[in-house]
Amino acid sequence: MAALTLRGVRELLKRVGFATVPRRHRHKKKWAATEPKFPAVRLALQYFDMTYSVQFGDLWPSIRVSLLSEQKYGALVNNFAAWDHVSAKLEQLSAKDFVNEAISHWELQSEGGQSAAPSPASWACSPNLRCFTFARGDVSRFAPARPGSLGVMDYYLMDAASLLPVLALGLQPGDIVLDLCAAPGGKTLALLQTGCCRNLAANDLSTSRIARLQKILHSYVPQEIRDGNRVRVTSWDGRKWGELEGDTYDRVLVDVPCTTDRHSLHEEENNIFKRSRKKERQILPVLQMQLLAAGLLATKPGGHVVYSTCSLSHLQNEYVVQGAIELLANQYSIQVQVEDLTHFRRLFMDTFCFFSSCQLV
Amino acid sequence: MAAFGRQVLDWHRLIPLTWAWMARQTPHLGEQRRMTASLLRKLTTASNGGVTEELSCVRSNNYVQEPECRRNRVQCLLEKQRTPVEQGSLELERVISSLLDMGFSNAHINELLSIQPGASPQQLLDIISEFILLGLNPEPVYVVLKKSPQLLKLPIMQMRKRSSYLRKLGLGEGKLKRVLYCCPEIFTMRQQDINDTVRLLKEKCLFTVQQVTKILHSCPYVLREDLGQLEYKFQYAYFRMGVKHADIVKSEYLQYSLTKIKQRHIYLERLGRFQTPDKKGQTQIPNPLVKDIFRVSEAEFLARTACSSAEEFEVFKKLLAREEEESDSSTSDDKRASLDEDEDEDDEDDDEAEDDDEDEDDEEEEQL
Repeated sequence: MAALTLRGVRELLKRVGFATVPRRHRHKKKWAATEPKFPAVRLALQYFDMTYSVQFGDLWPSIRVSLLSEQKYGALVNNFAAWDHVSAKLEQLSAKDFVNEAISHWELQSEGGQSAAPSPASWACSPNLRCFTFARGDVSRFAPARPGSLGVMDYYLMDAASLLPVLALGLQPGDIVLDLCAAPGGKTLALLQTGCCRNLAANDLSTSRIARLQKILHSYVPQEIRDGNRVRVTSWDGRKWGELEGDTYDRVLVDVPCTTDRHSLHEEENNIFKRSRKKERQILPVLQMQLLAAGLLATKPGGHVVYSTCSLSHLQNEYVVQGAIELLANQYSIQVQVEDLTHFRRLFMDTFCFFSSCQLV
Repeated sequence: MAAFGRQVLDWHRLIPLTWAWMARQTPHLGEQRRMTASLLRKLTTASNGGVTEELSCVRSNNYVQEPECRRNRVQCLLEKQRTPVEQGSLELERVISSLLDMGFSNAHINELLSIQPGASPQQLLDIISEFILLGLNPEPVYVVLKKSPQLLKLPIMQMRKRSSYLRKLGLGEGKLKRVLYCCPEIFTMRQQDINDTVRLLKEKCLFTVQQVTKILHSCPYVLREDLGQLEYKFQYAYFRMGVKHADIVKSEYLQYSLTKIKQRHIYLERLGRFQTPDKKGQTQIPNPLVKDIFRVSEAEFLARTACSSAEEFEVFKKLLAREEEESDSSTSDDKRASLDEDEDEDDEDDDEAEDDDEDEDDEEEEQL
């Protein structure tokens, strides 16, 4: 074996971990002297293989290859810019606004008397959201966002699926809204795009990440909306919101810290699957449940909460929701009702792939 | 020439001796001559060489017995010859008769003679003889020369040198046929280039001599391939995929393009259906056989090995092509300047060296 030359093999072996080592490095105080023998991205993949093959069965390979390959972005049009021009420009690239497509498709159906689901006000998606994606199978990329004539950026590139929680929240004009774990700010921006927020509170424990949120708001939202009382940005512990501002909000978005599945498979730095963060990862569901409970407590009676993660794990999703509901019932005698989102899923099933067996009481 | 004759007889032992029978039916020499002449004319105008070949083969069996007939056939061929005879009809006659002896059909001989007006009949015969001596049958020789007429331009010394080299490599007969069909430049290319490829396979890739022969015979295109590419392809199989020498040879892996190899392998890997073996050679899942990955059509690959859809594979191929392109140009990965994801990064956290690395085997199952 020693006789075999290993020219160029080092590069190959790097890839055995299924992820390239990132070349970009932000300032680090201490640099590792060698590459880790068992990188965190590999630990993450192992963990996912173990858990999700059971959870998803035959669907897992397809999900796995998607997670390991480049993701698909959506371009959220900035309504504070010349959004009609921006939309036209994106249309010319053969991208389509999937929100608009879904809604007009549904309207057509209900006119034809085919739609079985009723549409009470609470079912309606948050309005004024325009998000473009390329067609199925089209791997084109959007150009990076640029500032337009009004001094703010034209669109915001995000994982298209990240818009769904905001759509599901169903904002209505005049709502008082809380984004409990807001950073880095994509969903916060989307909430503002609806134009429905009488007041928006954006919070995140991490001050450095909140700084990123501030930057985004600066680049996308005109000063007159940022200034004044309409948007409040804080960096407090989200678990305290029940005590801080109980029964205050019409709509609350709880987009909790999670194992960020896709991210954990690609980015080695500060990966939550590295061994030094094992404890932190193991108590995540507890933290998530506490945050959701706080968000629920901060909601007015009759208000709405959306809980979202970027993980596929049952333990971080259904399990947490279940736990929070029980907690509120037992400790606070507050009844929380889970809303069936079948109708919502159907609206967007042409663009997204939904897992059909979501278990929730 | 005796050995040569024996070789000729070998091939044709099964062909019925209709010609001999016909010749026996006409005892008179004169009549026979006329009859053979007229028969020949009919035969040589036939559109395909099938019938003529059979009869010419038969003819060769009896060449000792029927010198008259042979001369007549030669005369007929000379009549049909449209190109001017360069070094006298005697030489041409000799060449044609030798070719007939080897078992070439009239039609083939005609075509061979008219391929290269520049190559002398003697040259043609010399080249063809070398091929025959290497164990090729007339039909393949004809096909090869038709397809690659530049072979006739080879100096005969080079031809002989190359032949002996190929024999040394173990390439002859049927094996050589395939190589010649795919890669006729095995005769025209520089000896040094073949040497380099063979040496790469033996010394750098550590294939045995028999394995090298097998590779040259089953994947002749390796002779055309850039050496760096070839080595990388081998290393990809050996290190990246964990495929051993025997399987590389058996599955004829080296014939596939690197693009196809990467597409199919990486797809399987990302699906979770292929794992690179660890340093002990073990995997947690049974890997599919190498031949089931590359040797099969794409449809079968998707249905049986990958268990995935064509649509998904198409998208994957596009994404992979882009990944490859970008890693080649190796720019910084901050291309996605304005993209944000909801990442769970805590910037204040120190990223210390991984000093808590355990051996891969000791990795516990973590419960979350």
